[in-house]
Amino acid sequence: MGNVSLIDQLKGQKIHDLLEQGKRVDGRSFDEPRQLTIETGVIPKAEGSARVHLGDTEVVTGIKVQLDRPFPDRGDNGIFICTAEILPLAHPDAEPGPPGEDVIELARVVDRGIRETGMVDLTQLVLEKDKTVIGIFADTSIIDHAGNLFDACSYATTAALLSTKIPKWEMQDDVPVKVEGQESDAPITTIPVSITMGRIGEHIIVDPNADEWSCLDARITITTNSDGNICALQKGGKDGFTIEQLVKCGEISVSVGAKIREILKETKGTSQ
Amino acid sequence: MILGGRDTDLVLLDENGIRCDGRKIDEPRKIMIKAGVLKNADGSAYIEFGDNKIVVGVFGPRDVHPKHLANTDTGILRCRYHMSPFSVEERKKPAPSRREIEISKVIKEALKPAVMLEQFPRTVVDIFIEVLQADGGSRCAALAAASVALADAGIPMRDMVSACAAGKVADTIVLDVNNEEDQAGQADMPVGYMPNMEKITLIQLDGVLTPEEYKKCVETAIGGCKLVYEIQKKALTDKYFSNGGNN
Amino acid sequence: MENTKRKYVIPGDVITSGPYRPEQNVILDGERIIATAIGISEIYDDTVRVISLTGKYIPKINDLVVAKVLSHSSLSWELDINSSYVGFLPAADVFGRDFSAHADELNSKLKKGDLVVARIANSDRSRDPLLTISDRELGKIESGELVEISPSKVPRLIGKRGTMIQTIEMATGAIITIGQNGWIVVSCENSDGLLKAVKAIQMVEEQAHIANLTDRVKSMLESKGE
Repeated sequence: MGNVSLIDQLKGQKIHDLLEQGKRVDGRSFDEPRQLTIETGVIPKAEGSARVHLGDTEVVTGIKVQLDRPFPDRGDNGIFICTAEILPLAHPDAEPGPPGEDVIELARVVDRGIRETGMVDLTQLVLEKDKTVIGIFADTSIIDHAGNLFDACSYATTAALLSTKIPKWEMQDDVPVKVEGQESDAPITTIPVSITMGRIGEHIIVDPNADEWSCLDARITITTNSDGNICALQKGGKDGFTIEQLVKCGEISVSVGAKIREILKETKGTSQ
Repeated sequence: MILGGRDTDLVLLDENGIRCDGRKIDEPRKIMIKAGVLKNADGSAYIEFGDNKIVVGVFGPRDVHPKHLANTDTGILRCRYHMSPFSVEERKKPAPSRREIEISKVIKEALKPAVMLEQFPRTVVDIFIEVLQADGGSRCAALAAASVALADAGIPMRDMVSACAAGKVADTIVLDVNNEEDQAGQADMPVGYMPNMEKITLIQLDGVLTPEEYKKCVETAIGGCKLVYEIQKKALTDKYFSNGGNN
Repeated sequence: MENTKRKYVIPGDVITSGPYRPEQNVILDGERIIATAIGISEIYDDTVRVISLTGKYIPKINDLVVAKVLSHSSLSWELDINSSYVGFLPAADVFGRDFSAHADELNSKLKKGDLVVARIANSDRSRDPLLTISDRELGKIESGELVEISPSKVPRLIGKRGTMIQTIEMATGAIITIGQNGWIVVSCENSDGLLKAVKAIQMVEEQAHIANLTDRVKSMLESKGE
């Protein structure tokens, strides 16, 4: 995101100096994400929801499930739509209004991670082919912006989907009717986990905090599925990566991702 | 009275004076306020008021953008009330609706008499209100939380602004109308109130009241504001004067 | 607290009524004196004030502040002074009277993100505060760590006749530059000393309203552990 405040030169220098000594400014090791806490069911009026703290970054995802028309070329698939908004209360530089390029990229990266892993089996969300399907709308609000929104939003969306209850509809005389009191879990096939890494000089760090984020030369977000396969990538920032660095990032995303996946699974177990 | 909507058989008030959610006529819903919940904002608050869940962040006084809005005599106040897409039954489009724009304005005008921005010419104080989950009376809940967030930001204020609604349900004046009562009831009157200055800074009404009912409704709402004020005070006391304070 | 005339207040609280003179963070409403900020109210002789516990820095002439360079034009720098207003440092203050917008490159002296110790040279309602760094103890900060506290707690960090800050400096060997705007630069050769000094400052920030704070800070500084 572009809107992380200008950090003072002394702190910037300190971040660089510490990395040379193999240390990070908040004491983490290079491949250690910040503390992740996930609460699900925080918005009872939504069909699924999660509030995620990743360090000081805080986001809330709410899932609404409602009937819709399918996309014309995908008549046998339900709909999944993902949005994000950096609320103006999240940061002094955030402004109300239509999303800028940073936020659109953010929402698309989260969306891609979930779509490309096939997390939700959309073929099970069809009521009447080409006419009526179930739509899942995952809207994420960023409440406090302290770096690495990609992973915070991705974990919140995933946790919210895991906690989602889909109402039951039946076709009666060509009209869909909701069957009260009947619902089921969303058709989940795998748990995607995104890991965002930053490069500062030659060093690769996992889950950069706000200060580190403003020192990044380049960043990459890699999403893996439950089988440990890489399913989505997004590179950003003002500089690039070497092949060696990219290979290393891939390995980190698999190993660190597996740990995060355990946390996501646990929240599913404890919700409700 | 035609009760419209799907809850036509809802009993709003039973023979024992108990309302559809189990409350007595002068009883507010459960209210919880916490001050200082955001790291980046200059001041912030979170409120749960019935099923409302609202977070408020305040920034400023700070530079005004765009510049031409700046006033060389005083600071200005801006307010944005916004509902998350998932805050209501039917998903809400993220862009602000006419209703949200009007509520933003009445909340701003309810707070204006309390804040003293003359000391900060050419600046703005921005209040951002996000309704994460909406229930009846969200504007009152938002106003009460915004007032706490302003105090938390250190914006000079003549008084806190408290808020609570009253209304008419089954021909009876009741405190703090909930969503069902708002849909099926006869009147809803949100009120904002400065408790020490004894000044009403927000009042709206949807519905029909006799002059007697009108007076009773205002008094009932102010009684509710005083209850909410105590909860606002507690939120600020908890943040600023707890852990080992000894008087 | 022994002084029974001190109270915790929030905006709107009536502190007292009668023939008192209102000072900081209070207003007169008829006979009543009312707090306009969260803080501690004090009545001394015939004056009433509230020591605020939150809020932004309000620039005052001659205050020493720590400032961060935000940007520059061809004639001046803009500095963040943790206030509602951006500080303004004219190029002539740094380059001297013969400053030439053509020959002198502002970037060569101060860059975006640099921290400086500055003094408020002028501040009034109609203009942004004017800064100066042309004095012996002023200028660019080359080393140390920035700690932020609420500007309203700066007097507490200094303490009565400087007792608090002296206690911290003596126990840790750190050199602490206190900006009235709540930005503090701590430098210390010894990294343990730095850590302790920063921790002591954060303690003042969190517990400013508590009595005998100096003793608490002292015992933290003397403790071996952490």
